[in-house]
This record gives sequence, C-alpha cells and structure tokens, in this order.
Amino acid sequence: MNKWLHSWAAPMVFYDRAGRLLLPLWMLAVVLTGIGVVWGLFLAPADYLQGDAFRIIYVHVPSAWMAMFVYMFMASAALVALVWRVKLAEVLARESAPIGAVFTALALATGSLWGKPMWGTWWVWDARLTSVLLLLFLYLGFIGLQSAIDDRRLAARAGAVLALVGVVNIPIIHYSVVWWNTLHQGASVSRLDAPAIDPSMLWPLLLVAAGFTSYFGALLLLRARLEILAREAGRRWVAERLQVAEQ
Amino acid sequence: MTPTRRRRLLGALVIVLGVAIAAALISMAFRENLTFFFTPSQVAAGEAPVGQPLRLGGLVVPGSIERGEGLGVRFAVTDTATEVPVYYEGVLPDLFGENQGVVVRGSLDASGRLTASQVLAKHDENYMPPEVADALRAQGAMPPHEMVR
Amino acid sequence: MRQAALGVLRRELLLALRRRSDYAQPLLFLALVVTLFPLALGADPAMLQAAGPGILWVTAALATLLSLEGMFRDDHASGLLEQLLLSPHPASLLVGMKIFGHWLATGLPIVLFAPLFALLLNLPAAGFGVLMLSLLLGTPVLTLVGAIGAALTLGLPRGGLLIALLVLPLYVPVLIFGAGAVAGAVAGLPVAGQLYVLGAELSAALVLAPVATAAALRVTTS
Repeated sequence: MNKWLHSWAAPMVFYDRAGRLLLPLWMLAVVLTGIGVVWGLFLAPADYLQGDAFRIIYVHVPSAWMAMFVYMFMASAALVALVWRVKLAEVLARESAPIGAVFTALALATGSLWGKPMWGTWWVWDARLTSVLLLLFLYLGFIGLQSAIDDRRLAARAGAVLALVGVVNIPIIHYSVVWWNTLHQGASVSRLDAPAIDPSMLWPLLLVAAGFTSYFGALLLLRARLEILAREAGRRWVAERLQVAEQ
Repeated sequence: MTPTRRRRLLGALVIVLGVAIAAALISMAFRENLTFFFTPSQVAAGEAPVGQPLRLGGLVVPGSIERGEGLGVRFAVTDTATEVPVYYEGVLPDLFGENQGVVVRGSLDASGRLTASQVLAKHDENYMPPEVADALRAQGAMPPHEMVR
Repeated sequence: MRQAALGVLRRELLLALRRRSDYAQPLLFLALVVTLFPLALGADPAMLQAAGPGILWVTAALATLLSLEGMFRDDHASGLLEQLLLSPHPASLLVGMKIFGHWLATGLPIVLFAPLFALLLNLPAAGFGVLMLSLLLGTPVLTLVGAIGAALTLGLPRGGLLIALLVLPLYVPVLIFGAGAVAGAVAGLPVAGQLYVLGAELSAALVLAPVATAAALRVTTS
C-alpha cells in the first residue's frame, strides 16, 4: 500500500495514471452535477418559508463546502511539500488554488444573490461573510506569491508557509455562526444531530456536492498534468508522450 | 537527551503554552458580549448604549405590526422574554413578517424605543416543504427559530 | 543562547538609533494620514469621533505595513541573515528578537503617540487608556504577522505591493477587535471581550509567527 502510494509521486507515473482517471472523473462530475441540479431546481419541493428562492442553496452550499475543502486540500499538500519536499505535492497545492478561489467567489456571489431578496441586503459584515471574503483574499495572495517567484520549487515552499498560516481561518469560517450572533443562519447539514433540512431537499444537495468534488478532481488532475509537462519539459518521457499525442 | 532534542522539546512546549494561553483568553472573551446584535433582554438589562448605533435581533411579535403613513412601520421585537418597540421607514425584506427573525440597525432613545435605519430578515437553518411545515405546526413540533433558542 | 538573542536585539536597536529618520517615517506617515481625514471628510466633531477609532487603527496598520519591506532587506544584502539562520541557536528565537527590535523601533512610538492623534480626531480622553492598551496588544501582532509576509517576499522585485496583498487579510482580526475596543470605550461600553481577543491573538502570534518567519526566510534566502 505504502509502496503503491509512493509510486504516484513520480511525475511520469502520475501523468499516465491521472490521464486514465480524467475521463471517468469528468463523466462523474457531469452526471452527478446534472442529476443534482435538475432534481434540486425542478423536482425538489419549494421551501415552506422562502419558496423557490431557496433553490439557490443547490449552488451556494456546495460551492461554500468546496471553498473550504479545497483550501484544506491545498494546505495538506503544502505541508507535504514543505516537510518531505514531494514535487507532486507542490504541483497539487499550486494548481488547486485557482480552483478554490473560483469556488469561493461563486459562494460569495450566489450568497449575495440569495441575501438580497431574503435578508434584504446584498452584503452584511457579519463574521461568516467576512471570514469567507478573507478566504478569497488568502487564495488570491497565494496565487500572487506563486506567480511573483520565478523559481517554481522556491515558489512552492514559500506558498506552503503562507497556505499553512492561512489555515487558522478555516475553523473561524465554520464556527463563525456558532460563536457569534451572525445574520447568516447556522449549519443545516454538517451538525451532530439530524440534518435540519428535509430529506427530499437534502439528496440533490449531496449529489451536487459530490459532482462538484469530482469536477475539482478532474480539473485538478488536468491542471497538474499540464504543470508537470511544463516542469519536466526536455525529459525524454515528455517527448515520447507528446509525440504519441500528435499522431 | 541530546541538546538538540531538548531544544526541540522546549520549543514545542513554548508553542503549546502560547496557544493554550490564547485559547484561555478566547474562552474568557466569549463570556463577554462580543456579538453582531443585542437581544431585547440585553436592552432591557441596560447593556445596550442609548443614542449610539447598534443592532437588535429577535422575532417580530405577532400582531405588533402597524403600517403608518407611507413606508413607516411600527413593530416589536422579542426574544420571548421581553419586547423592544421599533419604528422604521423604508423597504422591508420579503421574509419580514410575524414570528420571523429580524436584525434591526438603529439607535435607542431614552424611552427604550429603537428607531431603525435598516431592517434585515434572518431565516434559520431549517428547510422543509410546506406540507411538512404544516404537519409539524399541527403537532406543535415546529423547531423554534434559532433567534430564540 | 541568551547572549546571542540579546545581541541581535541590541544590534537592531542600535541600528534604529543610528538611523532615526528611517524609523521615524512610519510615525510621520501616520501623522500625515490622520491629518488627511478631517480635511477630506469635513471636520464635523461628532463624525470624526465616530470614525476616529477606525481611522487610527487602519492608519496604524498601514504604517506598520510600510515599515515591513525594509525589515530584512539590509540584513539579507549584507549576508547577516544567512549567518543568523546558520547559527547553532534556534533561528525562530533570533528572528523573534529581530522582530521585537523592529516593533520597539516602529510600533512602540505609534502606541506612545496615539493619544496625540486621537486628539486630532476629537476622541474623548476617557478612551485614551483603552486606545493605548489595544495598540500595545495589537501592533506587535501586526509586526509579527507582517514579518511572515516580509520574509516570504524577500528579494522579490516589486515585493512591497505583494506584502500588502499577503498581510492585509491577516490583519483583519486585529483591526476588528482593536477598533472595536476603542469604539466601545468611546461609547462607554465594556471592552474586556475585545481586549481578551487581542491578547489571545498576541499570545498565538508570539509563539507561531517567529517559527513561520524563520521557515519563510530559509526558503527565500536559499
């Protein structure tokens, strides 16, 4: 098992295996997100209080989950990169940041669209909204630092320090609705007792979340393969594979 | 123990100590009032400043909504213990209604009435179809709004 | 070990003393920006009093930010930084001493002169104690967290703007509770909660930031 795990770290092996994984992951992403969105937007019942407006939950909540999940993934990869100097971890941390930033922006945008009709405001400076905005800035700072340092290995290690410092924000985001009286409501799904959302509304939500996760996986592998090609340019195995692709 | 290992242990202990002090201070802070909004009980206890901008949170008391001229509206906000009367002129959010959660921004006058500059609706984390909500209400098992839990 | 740590601190303070004008710049910047606000916003005393705590804290954060770029630059150019990292003593301790020296030279003056600027913004004297206490707890956090950003961008061209991008999001918790404490004190509300949080931030930053800064310096000086 350990040996099998280690074998992934070799750029060439990763490139090939990730290439084989790409198609299934894309299909999974499209199918799960498709079913979840159609189910959520058209088949699930309307909310007793918010009516059809609550359906934006099917984009908002999975995006917000992904925003935090991708950050934790990025920080874990950064830790591995910093401590064990694994090149593949460097690539994964670097390439997951833009995806996480987009999910965060999507969560903020959909939340804003939801807030205007329901709360009566596009934006309010409560703890939840502020801490998620900071998450977006952390992603952007990480991306900025990566692009400012030309040496990729150096950039990866510098970025890793920053990513790890930013981890303090993640528990603050999650518990902000518990610790402070926020305008944002508490957690519906990730709580210890039964979810506070009716099963008929919950299933499509979980499907979209699984779809978004597959999408992240597919996009990450795609980006990581390109980054590996750029890093390993000039190696024989790269030339071999690119020639095969051309034919 | 080698000097290096002793030093590492010492370093780790210092870090644990610092983080523990931080955690203790945070837990002390949560015993103080560090909130986005005040509750009506806090207003009644005189914890909220008079004449300063503040936020008040709670449920709209059923039957307390009185529309005045134009956009003016009066209502009372409760946390089931006490009520605070509110006056507001402006557009109300869609969710505003009896027994709904609201966060009101404004300032208190000496008589304890709040003149609002902004009224925001706060919904809670419960989502359910209308039939389920009706059934729960019939059984009297509707979960209370998080504002008054 | 103690000798090495004190040596670093003494050197830092000596340098600050020799180049007083360099280190006075953040304070001067603070004074100028605070002057700009009444001129731009209009000198209505009530409005200045309402905005004052926020203005003071934001300008204090920006003044600290300005001082960051030069924090490690000269020592990196002279090679001293590499020597510090190579020394047998714990790098985080020596780096921490350097940060402490930097704060004594740039942050402490801000704390001491804050009541003067508060007068310009029409803040009541009753809030001065909390203002200075909050700055005393908060500005070291700004310097400590800023040191991580300074270390990460060391040697980069156009590093100054990037530092702001990396560090300002991390300044937000300090600003919220710092300005909140001062605004509360001015309004006559209890502010113990905000001060506890500032203390917690200081305690966590004191033990964690030097470690992160030393790690970042190892990366960027290699």
